Amino acid sequence: MVNLHYGKHKDHQVGIVHGREFPLSAIKVNDLRKKYGRINSLDGISFEVFPNEIFGFLGPNGAGKTTTIKCITTLTKPTGGSIQVFGIDAISDPDRVRQNIGYVPQSLSLVGELSGYENLLMYSKLYGVPKEQRHGNIYRILELLDISEKADYQVRNYSGGMMRRLEIGTALVHNPPLIILDEPTIGLDPQGRRMVWEILRRLVCKLGTTIFMTTHDMLEADQLCDRLAIINNGKIAVIDTPTNLKRNVVVGVSSNGRGTVGGDIITLRIPSDSRSYVISIIDREMGIKAEIVDDVSLRIILKDADSLFSKLLNTLVNAGIRLDSIDMQTPTLDDVFLQYAGTRIQEAESQAMESWKSIRNVRRTFRQMG
Amino acid sequence: MSEERLDKWDRELNRSSSSISTTHNNTPISALIRTLDKTYNVCELELRKIRRDYTDLLIRAIQPILWLTIFGTAFSHISQNSIPSLAITINGGLNGISYLEYIAPGILAQSVLFISIFTGISMIWERDLGQLDRLLCSPVPRTAIVLGKSFTGGLRGLIQAAIIFIVAVMMQISINFNPLNLIGVAAIVFTFGIGFSSLSIAISTMIKSRERIFGLVQLLTMPLFFASNALYPTQLMPEWLQIISFINPMSYAVDALRILMITGNFGRLLTDVGALAISTTIFIFFATMAFRRMER
Repeated sequence: MVNLHYGKHKDHQVGIVHGREFPLSAIKVNDLRKKYGRINSLDGISFEVFPNEIFGFLGPNGAGKTTTIKCITTLTKPTGGSIQVFGIDAISDPDRVRQNIGYVPQSLSLVGELSGYENLLMYSKLYGVPKEQRHGNIYRILELLDISEKADYQVRNYSGGMMRRLEIGTALVHNPPLIILDEPTIGLDPQGRRMVWEILRRLVCKLGTTIFMTTHDMLEADQLCDRLAIINNGKIAVIDTPTNLKRNVVVGVSSNGRGTVGGDIITLRIPSDSRSYVISIIDREMGIKAEIVDDVSLRIILKDADSLFSKLLNTLVNAGIRLDSIDMQTPTLDDVFLQYAGTRIQEAESQAMESWKSIRNVRRTFRQMG
Repeated sequence: MSEERLDKWDRELNRSSSSISTTHNNTPISALIRTLDKTYNVCELELRKIRRDYTDLLIRAIQPILWLTIFGTAFSHISQNSIPSLAITINGGLNGISYLEYIAPGILAQSVLFISIFTGISMIWERDLGQLDRLLCSPVPRTAIVLGKSFTGGLRGLIQAAIIFIVAVMMQISINFNPLNLIGVAAIVFTFGIGFSSLSIAISTMIKSRERIFGLVQLLTMPLFFASNALYPTQLMPEWLQIISFINPMSYAVDALRILMITGNFGRLLTDVGALAISTTIFIFFATMAFRRMER
């Protein structure tokens, strides 16, 4: 297994990744606006994707994720702002951008009547892959996607996961330096999802590919993306690494009541008569303020609670305190999402389920009509 | 995925790693060659679909066969006995051909028309499925997508023509099998198919929802078919309908096909071919424009 914690974005000023030179940013979007009629789908978003990172757009449905993708892939013209892909202006020179991107849309774009091999072959031809490279290239892709043995079956007989993998394959035929995916694992089972992740990580590590993707799957955003932008109502709320985002989640009001604090929450349940004693012990031994939640429980908000947890436990045990229970909660991207998008993931997810269902229906119709 | 296989893949990838590609040289000639090359590729994609699933083609051949066998047979009987003016115009004015012979080219043109309109419908399907987006964000020129799909419409028309020829022979309709005439028929069918495929593509770019297609197809095919000389001579129409028929490209296609397949009166052939060529060019231009506009 490849080591996934690279944090490539730190090296971007160099402009060289894996010994190859790249422009300083893979995608540079400045004040992008898109209006559909009177509705502001995108309300001035700016962000930068650095070469060789996996950059994720996380947000509820209708936040503007797909619109952003459509602007970058030159499928729609923005109302205002600028987009550069590897330094190429996507608005004035869309054709050159098209040569350098591979796009995997959310809906199903394969040709159901054709075999997996034929799908890859046709995309190779459409992308102008030289004849002598096509065959070897296609077999390599089939191998990577683990569908070699089904290569000659009609695509409409494929499972959902195989269709999805093949779809990513069709975006790879011309070895693009940037791959753009709209909800790459929507509607896949956990195993299918892990395979897609694995494929994407390999592309980044071995080929130096840059990946820009949208998702509303928290686990995916957390595990796969190097950096995340949280987007809501056509605006970017925050951009950071998943780790930093979680660390800075506001979980409570600071003890003096004036500011907010972020970090992990440790909850102690103790007999009520030892409450003040415990507070003073923690304060004296560790310099940490514990808050009273109710009669029998105390709350401590800590950054990097992992490292202090055992020390806290030792302190309490050495002081001879009887603990009824101790519990640590680390903020998840769910909390981050709530803070910036103003809604819980489950709510956004239930909308997502709707679109998930519709995609599954499309897949089903697709199989029937071919 | 086994680790061993992936490593093999990685090794091979290192030899052909991805890099930013620069633009092609954009002289008009190279742009034209690229467009034609991609037109061929788009066409190949469509033909591969047909090869894998040709039931659609066969089902579509049924309708014109029914028109010939049921409507044609019934109406030729009726016209002989009850509509003297129709019988006289057809038999007297056009070297005494039978009504079935008269409508055979009309039915052929109609089936090509239906097939061509289907090009736009299938494009709306592809748009909704996401296949079209994939093409639109690839370096394939817009013109090549329109031309490729339209050419496929023309080729499908040729297959229809072949089927109708077989049925016509079985019904003992006397068709001119001179090779030059056959080539002429093929050329007319192909051009006509391309033209109306383009028209349907142009219209389909304006349609937002799939549900509206079928109403629109009716709206388009009915007047094109009935306000033409496919089923009856235009001389018998009221004047305002004659005017519509005069500007209807279908009339010229039917006329040219009728000359080549049945009558052999070459007098108007040049006008027909000219009208057809002009309308097809306009439709292709129109479709390309509409298609380009779609990305906004």
